[in-house]
Amino acid sequence: MRHPRALFLLCLLFLAAGSLAAQQPAAHNEVLIKNGTILTITHGTIQNGSIYIKDGKIAAVGQVVEAPPTARVIDATGKFVMPGIIDSHSHLALDNDVNEATSPIVPHMMMQDAFHYTDKAIYRALAGGVTTSLLLHGSANMIGGQALVMKHKYGLDREQMLFPGAPPSIKFASGENPKRVYGSRQQMPSTRMGNFAVQRQALEDARDYMRQWSAYDAKAKAGDKDAKAPKRDLKLEALADILRGKFLVQIHCYRADEFLTEMAMAREFGYKIRAFHHALEVYKVADKVAAEGIGMATFADWWGFKHEAFDAIPWNAVMSMRKGVRVAIKSDSDDFARRLNQEAAKAVRYGGATEDEALRMITLNAAWVVGVEDRVGSLDVGKDADIAIWNHHPLSNYALVDQVLIDGEVFFDRSLPGFGMTHYKEGQ
Amino acid sequence: MKDNRVIGRSGHRVILPRLVMITTLCCLLLCATAFAQRPKPAAKPAPAKPEQARAIVLRGGKLMTITHGTIENGALVMENGKITAVGAAGSVKVPKNARVIDVTGMTVYPGLIDSETHLGLTEISLDTTTNDLEETSDAIMPHMHVYDAFHAESDLIPVTRMNGVTNAIVAPATRDTLPGQDSFVQLAGKSSEEMLLVRDIAMPLNFTGAQRRNESFQTAKFPQTRMGMAAQLRQAFIDAQDYSQKFADHEKKAADWEKEKKGDKPSLPKRDLKLEALLPYLEGKRPVVLAAEEPSDLKVAFGLAREFKLKVILNHVSHSQILVDEIAATKLPVIVGPIYETPKDDERYDSVFKLPAELVRRGVKIAFASYDEHNVRNLPYQAGYAVAWGLSREEAMKAITLNPAEIWGVSDQLGSLDVGKSANVVVADGDPLEVRTDVKRVFIAGHEVPMESRQTRLRDEYMK
Repeated sequence: MRHPRALFLLCLLFLAAGSLAAQQPAAHNEVLIKNGTILTITHGTIQNGSIYIKDGKIAAVGQVVEAPPTARVIDATGKFVMPGIIDSHSHLALDNDVNEATSPIVPHMMMQDAFHYTDKAIYRALAGGVTTSLLLHGSANMIGGQALVMKHKYGLDREQMLFPGAPPSIKFASGENPKRVYGSRQQMPSTRMGNFAVQRQALEDARDYMRQWSAYDAKAKAGDKDAKAPKRDLKLEALADILRGKFLVQIHCYRADEFLTEMAMAREFGYKIRAFHHALEVYKVADKVAAEGIGMATFADWWGFKHEAFDAIPWNAVMSMRKGVRVAIKSDSDDFARRLNQEAAKAVRYGGATEDEALRMITLNAAWVVGVEDRVGSLDVGKDADIAIWNHHPLSNYALVDQVLIDGEVFFDRSLPGFGMTHYKEGQ
Repeated sequence: MKDNRVIGRSGHRVILPRLVMITTLCCLLLCATAFAQRPKPAAKPAPAKPEQARAIVLRGGKLMTITHGTIENGALVMENGKITAVGAAGSVKVPKNARVIDVTGMTVYPGLIDSETHLGLTEISLDTTTNDLEETSDAIMPHMHVYDAFHAESDLIPVTRMNGVTNAIVAPATRDTLPGQDSFVQLAGKSSEEMLLVRDIAMPLNFTGAQRRNESFQTAKFPQTRMGMAAQLRQAFIDAQDYSQKFADHEKKAADWEKEKKGDKPSLPKRDLKLEALLPYLEGKRPVVLAAEEPSDLKVAFGLAREFKLKVILNHVSHSQILVDEIAATKLPVIVGPIYETPKDDERYDSVFKLPAELVRRGVKIAFASYDEHNVRNLPYQAGYAVAWGLSREEAMKAITLNPAEIWGVSDQLGSLDVGKSANVVVADGDPLEVRTDVKRVFIAGHEVPMESRQTRLRDEYMK
């Protein structure tokens, strides 16, 4: 007689465990951030606002939001809540593998192959409110490698840190860097003429490769059994994908004349440029850049480090924005990545950007440069719950990040002992 | 030898005792001697030959005096390049014919002082023809004087002063242990002579590990290691001591010869500028700026300073958090930062950000430095960020005004809004430590500096 009873008890236990298991993730998946100053980026600032997060997405934003009592509450009284910062130009977690500087054309390099996903630099940027970064190839090459889009889920496995579904970007560069690298080796390019000749030839090679494949495909389709497939070439394939529009083209260049040349070449070969990076002289030709719908990812006030950066002015971001260019402020530095909010504040200082406009440069506009503007960059319903909570207004120099959530989960909490990490294990 | 007791307790018997002594000496001497040290012709700061025609009165602003609190609705008078009155707007007498500027709603504060820059030594970092940053032919180059290269017309200077930085230490780059001697400059003036307030003010002694010449096995040359760096430094100081002795001996011989005039007159030893340049430092007449980041390097550098009785200003100490109590016990001033230095992997992300607050909490006198050339203008933001990490606003302001003035021995002239000091005064539309604050006016030695630079000219040209 005891047997059925034991079974019953066991069943009860299972049920309890089952309901616990069902309940726990549910509680985990529902978060209510309450009573904060909500900097939405797209629809103004909400005083004493709340955000309800469900299954990693923003489910509601407003002064009053409905949330089940099971939701975990984060009290943001006296705090500022903004979307996680997006760094649209970063080389962190790539160690010394940023540049495959052995050829000016290396589009088949994949940054994912160098991604040092346990690098503490990821954690330091996270502690500065950064939730997404575009990890780009270096600038030694006219056409460099393929970028990686990362979420700063420090402590998780490599695959869990990749931004799911982010579009692929590829890096171009012109100007002094490729000149210096190859010129110092008595190789082409050592001039800007060389720069663009190399780039144009590479794109012509890609056209030729595409023609070979279309010829083969046509033959094969027509049933020609003797048709021989061209040899697959990773480099040419990547170049062909540029012409097929499969990449967001991210171009490192500084000077006004280079923007014009790059835009002309893009028109000639039929690809689109997503953004100019560094872009320190966009203010000189901003209307032209705006007319092409090209964005820019720039430094706030860095200048003079080389000749092509000598005409940089801190008003560049705002002057270009006023002419209609979509402007992002980026780090290009493991250091600046930790305090991009202060860099954005310089747009207020130099040119009088509004607070919303300044914050957009490190959130929604940066998301656009990366191609993930539908997913992150503002506090809107349906977007990923990537959120930074600050103790002061983030454009203040006195502001510190208290907590960072990614996909609705806390990844950084300043009040925690040790490293302030929720997923990091000592010795990792 | 009461110092030994300190040492006994802290367990660092080799390093600390003399240092404490040096420190006390250093602090005493610094203020007393550094200013007196200035070579005669350049000794007078620019305000000494002022052309400030009319008195200028800033009225209605909030005065951050640094030494005696904040005066809401204050007034400040500048005459002949000096501050001649500071007080509540109602109580300050406006001189006849004065130009009165209404600064209601503005914040008025002393010109900022950057304790390490490379201003005037470079124009474009990667363009070697524009660089006079360091003579790298040898690691020991104390006879290199920054004033011989300081370029008064550099485009970087107007960019810098427009944000309220009016004075700076100019140091050579830090690739070598003893790259030369620093100058103290004023960022306005008609010539380098006018701008160089103190020509040789201090000597950097860099011991951060970055000075090793070990880039590659093929190009490595002495000193390739920290052992090499320390040995080379020690030898240089010993050689200088010998050199000094040679002259002392000669002086004695010459005096003896004068008495009897027997035989040949003893000939003067050959002058060696390199060794001679070390003497003011061995004699404790000028401070050495001791740069180290990690505890181990700091200990070695401390050891050298003690051995040769050097007057010390500490520099960086970025990763020496475990030594903050020892640093405080030395009573030495610290040029701290840059706080943007990346923490080591075993350090918490905020370990360097918090360092200024940790030092000040223990009574250390700190000053900030940009350690930069193009971005010196951002000096106040570093101080502001240290406030986010626990430093008080008052201490942060002091660390870019009065503290550096005291550390460099120029506090009788600079660092606060006090009567008698040089009229280096900044007017801004808000908190000087906030990025969003716009600097509206800058006065250097009573002259209103035009708010123009290469950058504003480009802005205006393309704004049209």
